[in-house]
Amino acid sequence: MAELTYRDAVAAGIAQEMDRDPRVVFLGEDIAAAGGVFKATVGLLERFGPKRVRDTPISEQAIIGAAMGAAMTGLRPIAEIMFSDFLAVCWDMIANEIAKARYMSAGQMTLPLVIRTANGSGARFGAQHSQSVENWAMAVPGLKVVAPSTPADVKGLLAAAIRDPDPVVFFEHKGLYATKGEVPEGEHVDRLGTAKVLRQGSDVTVLALAAMVPRALQAAERLQSEDGISATVVDVRSLVPLDTKTILAETVKTGRLYTVEENPRLCGWGAEIASIVAEECFYDLDGPVVRITTPHVPLPAADALEDATVPSVDRIVETIRRTAG
Amino acid sequence: MDVVMPQLGETVKEGTVTVWHKKVGERVEANEPLFEVNTDKVETEVPAPVTGVLTDILVAEGATVDVGTRLAVIQEDGKPRGAAPAPEAVRAPAAPPPSDSSRAARRPAAPARGGEDGPPLSPVVRKLLAEHGLDPSAITGTGAGGRITRDDVLAYVEQRKSGAPAQGAAGERVPFSKIRKRTAEQMALSWRTIPHVLQAVEVDFAAVDRARTAQAEAWKAKEGWALTYLPFVAFAACRALPEFPAVNASLDGDALVLHRRVNLGVAVDLGGEGLIVPVVKAAADKSLPDLARAIHAVSEKARTGRLAPDDVTEATYTISNSGSFGTLLTAPIINPPQVAILSTDAVTRKPVADGERIVVHPVGVLAQSFDHRAFDGAYSAAFLRKLKQILETRDWASDLR
Repeated sequence: MAELTYRDAVAAGIAQEMDRDPRVVFLGEDIAAAGGVFKATVGLLERFGPKRVRDTPISEQAIIGAAMGAAMTGLRPIAEIMFSDFLAVCWDMIANEIAKARYMSAGQMTLPLVIRTANGSGARFGAQHSQSVENWAMAVPGLKVVAPSTPADVKGLLAAAIRDPDPVVFFEHKGLYATKGEVPEGEHVDRLGTAKVLRQGSDVTVLALAAMVPRALQAAERLQSEDGISATVVDVRSLVPLDTKTILAETVKTGRLYTVEENPRLCGWGAEIASIVAEECFYDLDGPVVRITTPHVPLPAADALEDATVPSVDRIVETIRRTAG
Repeated sequence: MDVVMPQLGETVKEGTVTVWHKKVGERVEANEPLFEVNTDKVETEVPAPVTGVLTDILVAEGATVDVGTRLAVIQEDGKPRGAAPAPEAVRAPAAPPPSDSSRAARRPAAPARGGEDGPPLSPVVRKLLAEHGLDPSAITGTGAGGRITRDDVLAYVEQRKSGAPAQGAAGERVPFSKIRKRTAEQMALSWRTIPHVLQAVEVDFAAVDRARTAQAEAWKAKEGWALTYLPFVAFAACRALPEFPAVNASLDGDALVLHRRVNLGVAVDLGGEGLIVPVVKAAADKSLPDLARAIHAVSEKARTGRLAPDDVTEATYTISNSGSFGTLLTAPIINPPQVAILSTDAVTRKPVADGERIVVHPVGVLAQSFDHRAFDGAYSAAFLRKLKQILETRDWASDLR
């Protein structure tokens, strides 16, 4: 095991796959010479050269269009969209072309590509650069959606996404780039569509994604020591495919389900899970499913306001404390 | 307009809704029967207070609620809707809530449907209650607002299984179930008001045992259950009772009502939940095999909770059977207005004097508690002597044929 930062794990994952497969290419704004605006791709240009690691003009549509064409013609491109908010400008190509190509060509065409993007709040970038838009991608049939919370998962899931035969939107979290964690040495490939139980408890089950995972874990520790409430914490990791087997099993064990979501409340990923749980294990529930989310508002840029908007450890603790009885 | 549980008698605190005569959405006329209520004291029909449409039923049939509890809502003719909140009014906020925490804080003020008069029961709690056949009123809720949680039900089930009180220095308070409550009241009333006298005889079951053993296998094969001593005792009692009509009687104020028929009550234990006494009607008219079958049938009905109201009324004499547990002698409590009750205890093999010889016979004690207001010790003793004589000397083999 080696200790890596979340941002170094991105570069490590890409390098592992570029080493292994010459078809893997990487393109995006400032990803090559500058090593990425979040310094997540440092060293790749030097190692793999300007043919496989390309800086592009400031045009998200050009990046996605180029990646789509490359994938159609036999490469396995990784496209970076610097801020996930900008996926909106590419949405026709992503939602209508990339997501539909395999289906509309009856499998004659596949698009093995990865769209990496920096998602989420914490950097005070305001309403157009801090959003959590994982639920946008989740709503489009034909896309796989991954959002890791640890350096090890970044490397393992990024490798799995690159090897996947279909388009994967890979949400990295801006607030996690500096965090550190153990990453297995040598080749490391994880499996898409698998959630991870990080903490086993007996009273409540808490589902979280990306930056909400460490907050849910901290909240669980506080609930245990301050209130004697024992919480299971599950890192959902992958929204499509969704690991319903693990989610339902962990929900049934405690009978109480909470989701901690950074995406805005309406149609957030937890809403889909709440609906599945209501349908599949209603008679094992010992209380309502409670969603802890960002409210349905544009994200403020001011520190205090952003902190008040996105679910905090305090808010998770207070909500569970108030409703778990 | 809200329909509430009426006060039926000064001391009545609660009532059970037994039947709704109207469905939600149906029209009701003022003074037309709306539902039926059963309390400790009365069973009565309650008329609709106003004319209109029954828009909501809040308390299901079979639920017991306090006097004054809202039972239903009638939308009166000519009055605007909304005086009483309809269920949909509780839901659907006009605009999306600003944050989930403020939303969660707004606990819905929905009525406690199905949770009787307590907070609502969660889906898993309902499932567990049904699986274990439990009455929620027997379980102490530790959740928010006294809500019964999943863990409360599981702890209750666990505690009942082990028979030991749950952990906690002060011990746990386990409220009585309905049947336990009724058993307690009836037993206390009997003990307070009836001067009980206990008499017992020792009976040699050798004659019974010979016939029973000879037929045991054939009986088991044919009927599917074993032939015990109980039907023999019951049959003997049915022969003895006509000679002692004051034993097969009810006390009614200053009079004793002597019954022509023997309706035999057979006490059945419901595994700690309480006692129930199903009744074999006209027991003295039955042959021994028929009486055995009838006792078996009502006991099974009692254990599986399928007794009809008619199965538990009009007993004139009761037998309580603790013998299978190996008891030597039980002093039973009389079930008023009856005036006597017989306990059959264990029949065990014992040395018995047969002339100058000692032989081993199956022997058991029959004990009768009687109401000393109704008759005296000599009368009861003579009845027991008769019972003993029948059991020891009858040609049982021909009764079983």
